[in-house]
Amino acid sequence: MFVDNSGRRSKLLRRIGLLAGVLCLGYAVVLGLAFMGIGTATPSSLLPFAGGGPAGVRNSGPRGTEPPGGFGTPPARPTGTPLTGAPTGTRPSS
Amino acid sequence: MTTTSTTRGRRRAPSRMQRAAGKAAALQKPRVILALLVLLGLTSVMLLDGYLRAEVGGDQRVRTGAGSSKVPDKVLDGGPILTFRGDRATTVSVPKKTIALTFDDGPNPTYTPQVLKILKKYDVPATFFLVGSMVSRYPGIVKDMVGQGDEVGIHTFTHVDLSYQSNARVDREMKQTQLALAGAAGITTTLFRAPYSSETDAIDNYSWPVYKRLGQEGYTSVFVDTDSDDWKKPGVSKIVDWATPKGTSGAAVLMHDAGGDREQTIKALPKYIEKMKAKGYTFTTISGVMEKQNTGSGRAVTGAAAALRPGGSVPNGPQARGVSVTGGLQAAQHKATGATLYEGKALIVAVAVAEYALPVLSVGLMVVGVAVMGRFGMMVVLARRHYRQRNKRRFSWGPPVTRPVSVIVPAYNEKECIANTLESLSRSTHPIEVIVVDDGSTDGTSEIAREAANALGMTNVRVIRQENAGKPAALNHGVRSASCDIVVMMDGDTVFEPDTVRHLVQPFADPEVGAVAGNAKVGNRNTLIGAWQHIEYVMGFNLDRRMYDLLRCMPTIPGAIGAFRREAVLQVGGMSEDTLAEDTDITIAMHRAGWRVVYQEHARAWTEAPGSLKQLWSQRYRWSYGTMQALWKHRKSLTDKGPSGRFGRVGMPLVVIFQIVTPVCAPLIDVFTAYSMIFVDFTAALLAWLAVLAIQLVCAAYAFRLDREKYRYLLMMPLQQLAYRQMMYLVLIHSCITALTGGRLRWQKLKRTGEVGTPAGVG
Repeated sequence: MFVDNSGRRSKLLRRIGLLAGVLCLGYAVVLGLAFMGIGTATPSSLLPFAGGGPAGVRNSGPRGTEPPGGFGTPPARPTGTPLTGAPTGTRPSS
Repeated sequence: MTTTSTTRGRRRAPSRMQRAAGKAAALQKPRVILALLVLLGLTSVMLLDGYLRAEVGGDQRVRTGAGSSKVPDKVLDGGPILTFRGDRATTVSVPKKTIALTFDDGPNPTYTPQVLKILKKYDVPATFFLVGSMVSRYPGIVKDMVGQGDEVGIHTFTHVDLSYQSNARVDREMKQTQLALAGAAGITTTLFRAPYSSETDAIDNYSWPVYKRLGQEGYTSVFVDTDSDDWKKPGVSKIVDWATPKGTSGAAVLMHDAGGDREQTIKALPKYIEKMKAKGYTFTTISGVMEKQNTGSGRAVTGAAAALRPGGSVPNGPQARGVSVTGGLQAAQHKATGATLYEGKALIVAVAVAEYALPVLSVGLMVVGVAVMGRFGMMVVLARRHYRQRNKRRFSWGPPVTRPVSVIVPAYNEKECIANTLESLSRSTHPIEVIVVDDGSTDGTSEIAREAANALGMTNVRVIRQENAGKPAALNHGVRSASCDIVVMMDGDTVFEPDTVRHLVQPFADPEVGAVAGNAKVGNRNTLIGAWQHIEYVMGFNLDRRMYDLLRCMPTIPGAIGAFRREAVLQVGGMSEDTLAEDTDITIAMHRAGWRVVYQEHARAWTEAPGSLKQLWSQRYRWSYGTMQALWKHRKSLTDKGPSGRFGRVGMPLVVIFQIVTPVCAPLIDVFTAYSMIFVDFTAALLAWLAVLAIQLVCAAYAFRLDREKYRYLLMMPLQQLAYRQMMYLVLIHSCITALTGGRLRWQKLKRTGEVGTPAGVG
């Protein structure tokens, strides 16, 4: 009873076991990464939602990636003024 | 394990390193790795579920009464929207005749969709500050929210007071929520509102540094101008009242779409919107407010106004994802791409898996719990009935059985024990014929048996020698050679009491009875393992056997002591070699042939239980595998008619549930208990575990009482629950896997030491 000398069943089960093991491991890894917050960036490395205002738009993060100026520049404002000045090394020191 | 030889050629015991290497090798076996991974997966599911429900890592503290000396005045007196540029804080107020509706603590499956419906009906946008754990559980609602044009912000992942948390935890709360949002709606956000915050003048010295830090990371913190206090459930009209700002001032209004009964909020919202619209107010989102203040005009901003204009200078870092979603009203949101998006989606899937898996596991746990408790209840009730029935003074099976019976002793290399066995048989009070079947022993068992018989003056002993063919074949040989119509089967190392055979064969006075199970006792019970098995035999076997006797579904007659009608054995084809548990096999066959199988508690036999863990594992592995084989072999009885069908439809399911399903699911009990003790409530979980232990102790004590055993062995029971039980279900799972994969088992022989005899004072 139960003995399967051809070994076919055991091969199939071995594959299923491998799949199950990989899924479990992957699951734990995904949860671990998500818990630590690895793989997501803080908003400063994204273009920030600049508060606008007459002072012009600059990237406010201390890390300061290349700022082309913020978006959120309302259509009424001429696009030229804030944008051109920004990329040339006006990194805010913090 | 390897041994090394010294120059003198002696063998050395394996060194510590070699033993450690052996253990490491054992741990690497694929099935162990798989078991550990499954356990890891199970633990992850439970931890995730606990984290989402704030059972794991929850923090209920809320700060009150702190000073605000370190908070800049312009912030304390400023508007509700707080942004930072470097170290500089700027606040933005809501312009006149504008309302920024904000909802906290969502999404909630009951209320949030209703809120969204109302907002859609009145064409009013709002800003939702979402709790990450809820986002991951109800991603669809967030997707609808964003699709409808509402704005979302972060309200931490587990709704903790951030002023109490470390920087690392604050970061994690924010990032986890971003991932959840990315997975749910494909966006990330720069808006933030802290739990337990309110107006800007309530910012204190502990929360200010948190806002500063988050602000420097790019988050815009949003506070409240007007609090509807709807969570207090003051009544619809009060909510509308309190949410209305004075005169024509604009306000960021706080309402809740989750976190309790929000029926009043749902009823108040339409009234509020109509009231404010009648006063000439417009509704917008937080970004809409920023937009309005930028233009310096009161124009409401609609739709795709302010998309990014790269101007050819899109940042070329890896985080180039500055595209706002639909512009003005949702300008604080960015499309999630790359790692964030995929990880977010994976997180949502993982949460969905946990949300499905845990109820299933809980149901499994409940089934096991009910089965275990039911079994205890049935056992105690039926055991009592059995005891009282069989021990009534007027009870009898029929006229006393006095004719001689054959006792068959199969023996394979039993030189230590066979003499003891024969001596115990020599003192039998019932006339017997002893047939020792030597199954091709290589240690002179036959000679020792003959000598012992001669020395004891026994004239009724026949020693038959056969070529090694296995125990079933030896028993069959004995049955065929027997001259009496009742045969008693025992093991080569079992020791009988003088009265044993007499008690054992009395039930045959009832012509329905085809087989009788005796009462096997553990002789070597003074070691830890021996004591555990002693408890198991008394409770698990004897208590169970009384229940099975009354239910007419006894699955196994112990090989150590059983009696059969010779004709019945031959009728069902004798002992079969199809399975490793030939005793279970023949017992089931008896049931199917219509014979009654009963339990005779007074027929005691003393047996030597395995003394080492390895031998025990081997024995139980064989037993559980063999039982599964036997049940499978007789599976047709499920659909048979007559007595076979009765057994198949009543007995077999009981046996399958109690002896296979329940033990296989037993690990769940341990996992849930451990999880509850570590993460939920140590005391409550411990008490529950102790309660179950107490119930088991009571049942075991009752079993001991019925058998008149000494209670002191029960002291081992708590320890038994911590190690022995786990071993038993690991054995069962192991044998299930072997059965599934179709591998072949070796027959392992118990190492005999011949230390078991009847206790002094008996016989």
